[in-house]
Amino acid sequence: MSEFKDQNVECIVAILKKKNPATTKEIMAMRDLFPELCAGCSSGGDVILAGKQLVEEGFVERKWTSEGFAWKLIKDSEE
Amino acid sequence: MVVWARIRKDFPVLNQLYEGKSLIYFDSACMALKPVQVWEAMEYYYKYLGACGGAGRSTHSLGEETSLLTQEARVKIASFINARSQNEIIWTRNATEGLNIIAATLPIKKDENIVTTSLEHHSGMLPFFKRCQETGSELRIVNASPDGTFDVADFEEKIDDKTKIVSFVHASNLTGTIAPLEDVVKISHEHGAWVVSDEAQFAPHDKLDVKKLDVDFSVLSIHKACGPTGIGVLYGKYELLEELDMFLVGGDVIEDVVYEDGKIIPKYLPPPHKFEAGLQNYGGMLGAGAAIDYLQKIGMDNIHNREQSFSKRLLEGILELEKFEVLGPLDYKQRAALVSFRPKSDVMNHNDVTEYFNDMIPNHKILMRSGNMCVHPFQYQIGINPGKGEGVTRASLYIYNTMDEVEIFLTELENFARALD
Repeated sequence: MSEFKDQNVECIVAILKKKNPATTKEIMAMRDLFPELCAGCSSGGDVILAGKQLVEEGFVERKWTSEGFAWKLIKDSEE
Repeated sequence: MVVWARIRKDFPVLNQLYEGKSLIYFDSACMALKPVQVWEAMEYYYKYLGACGGAGRSTHSLGEETSLLTQEARVKIASFINARSQNEIIWTRNATEGLNIIAATLPIKKDENIVTTSLEHHSGMLPFFKRCQETGSELRIVNASPDGTFDVADFEEKIDDKTKIVSFVHASNLTGTIAPLEDVVKISHEHGAWVVSDEAQFAPHDKLDVKKLDVDFSVLSIHKACGPTGIGVLYGKYELLEELDMFLVGGDVIEDVVYEDGKIIPKYLPPPHKFEAGLQNYGGMLGAGAAIDYLQKIGMDNIHNREQSFSKRLLEGILELEKFEVLGPLDYKQRAALVSFRPKSDVMNHNDVTEYFNDMIPNHKILMRSGNMCVHPFQYQIGINPGKGEGVTRASLYIYNTMDEVEIFLTELENFARALD
């Protein structure tokens, strides 16, 4: 994970550590639990972009389900 | 006759595969794509000029040409919206900045009020909200109807002789509503109030005639009209621009700054220079001029008619599926070429919808925007709660889109709808 993490990267990791996997809808609802980390507009675009960055970097898997995307933290630090 | 296939070729971004898929760009209400003619005009500035232009700056050859070309661009904008003179055209960064200029420099007293609507983009509402907070003036809000239309009688009720200005969106970026601007201008003027119209979503798609509308101020974002980012326009009737206070001060806005007996006495220039402090975005101005040339060559009537056919089919197709709630009027003639929708079932977040179309369909990436489109108040009004992560997905079309793309989208939306069962 990049040393210069976007705050929303920390937000989504914190959420997935609490519930793993979680759907997008669940992640959006859980942002309130981490107000110091989950910044940005209430529409949640910042969190989605952070999540996609984590998928690119291999820390998170994203799968399509009947309830939208499910996000799963598969590692939370460089091995 | 317009050869639309040729127009599409001017947008290289659409003629590539991205991650192995064809792009269908349905996010023009946020940002229009740029034709090659626009970036060639900007390249000319950066490659062959690169100098200062404007009032009181360098008069050498490169400065002279920069001044002439930017002045030409200003004239093109004036002609595009049918202003009386190029001196009624002020360069800004975007429509938001134009609205902030009006709100911040407006002469208003504590016992006066400002009228706006629940359907405004935050940029059409918050600058006036802030100014009212500062001055103690009242902000009055006209609620749009649940279908995103307006009842002119509601404006008659809110506007009175103490109304200083009405801030009103001509075409909504959320519902696509084309608002009854002419009626609102008439009511406002009967009470001596000014009107500023947000033309960010109207001017790129239809013929804007500020003289005919008799609107007092209008704002445009050039990036939604095939032009570059970071350049916008504030139009104002010249005599009203003279009445407004300064916004930013510094270089380029002054005739002289006298220093006498230890005191500074600035003498400011008249509009439009009065509002254009500091070195300007000359490359952006040339790009803006090229974008306006481009749209006018196609013809605003042609653009409007083509987009109406998109709106009609898009609206019909989404409604036929019966799985989605559509925001805004259901008559395509009352709206711009954009449709905001959301699944009737509450099973997933709006971001999932746009991400599905971005990543999960075969052969294409359909690029849309999800969220609340910076129009939170209207969504709260109709029962969508942005604070709880609720929102919509918006498909917005422009000159480079095709009816084939609309059909591909509708087919994929039908497939998506099946997944909601």
